[in-house]
Amino acid sequence: MLLNGVRRPAVARAQLAIKNEMERAMTVSLRESVDKVSDPRNLDASVEEVFHLMLGVDCQLDEGPAETEPESVTAVVGFGGLLSGACVFRTGGSAAMKIAAHMTGMEFAEIDDTVKDGIGEICNMLAGAWKGKVPELAANCGLSVPAVITGRDYNLHVQAPEFQLHHLYRFEDATFSVTIVCDGLQ
Amino acid sequence: MSEVRTLIVDDSSVMRKIVERALRQAGLDPLVVHEAGSGTEGLDVLKSKQVDLILSDINMPSMDGLEFLRQIRLQNLAPGVPVVMITTESSEEHVKQAILAGAQGYIRKPFTAEQVKERVLPLLNAA
Repeated sequence: MLLNGVRRPAVARAQLAIKNEMERAMTVSLRESVDKVSDPRNLDASVEEVFHLMLGVDCQLDEGPAETEPESVTAVVGFGGLLSGACVFRTGGSAAMKIAAHMTGMEFAEIDDTVKDGIGEICNMLAGAWKGKVPELAANCGLSVPAVITGRDYNLHVQAPEFQLHHLYRFEDATFSVTIVCDGLQ
Repeated sequence: MSEVRTLIVDDSSVMRKIVERALRQAGLDPLVVHEAGSGTEGLDVLKSKQVDLILSDINMPSMDGLEFLRQIRLQNLAPGVPVVMITTESSEEHVKQAILAGAQGYIRKPFTAEQVKERVLPLLNAA
């Protein structure tokens, strides 16, 4: 028997496939794999991948303390879905201009919109690369568009996260930090 | 190669420049580039310009890349023109969604000029 040109058993099979897919999505949980999600090597690998491919530079983990510049640039990309939280990229003003210069081939004398845009995009790629290291996250965790903050003497405070990764990196004479904040895991 | 008219849709102006540079490094020269900062702007460009290739981000404010793709098909804009999605989203599910929406190719950010060449040139040659 045909239903709008489709055989009924085919419709039933398709409905069953959708039901199974929905059930699978509903049962995916990262609760049991916090160790896998919070593995610090995933963050280092993501930084290496993004900076090597997009800037053509190699980064080293830096022991710190973080170098302080009067003005800093912070980009934030939110996670939603199985994991809620954010990827935070923070660097000094001159380092931000250097990163943007490597990305675009242009020189910058101030933190203009192109620099902010470039730092936002770096954060976006880091967030995407990081969640892509865990297949369940790649498929079930969305990213927000980046928000970029510039200014002097500000702190970012997150209340009691589920877990937090915070690493400092260096390339040439530029330093930056990347923080993954997870405040909810389903 | 004859002139390639390309539409690059990305809310990041830096990424649009990087994609343009990668296309030139891939050997697409002469290259005419039209830029759009969102899916809505991309549709406006397609209503007034002829293009041979469309590269679009997915995660954008106002109108995302998947909706942009659906609107291209719904409004019958740029028929037969290959569309390649360039995005940080890389799961099989996202690729499936993009293909279902009408994309012919998929490039994950971060990318190399070589990857752009591998994904784009066969589509242009086949078009």
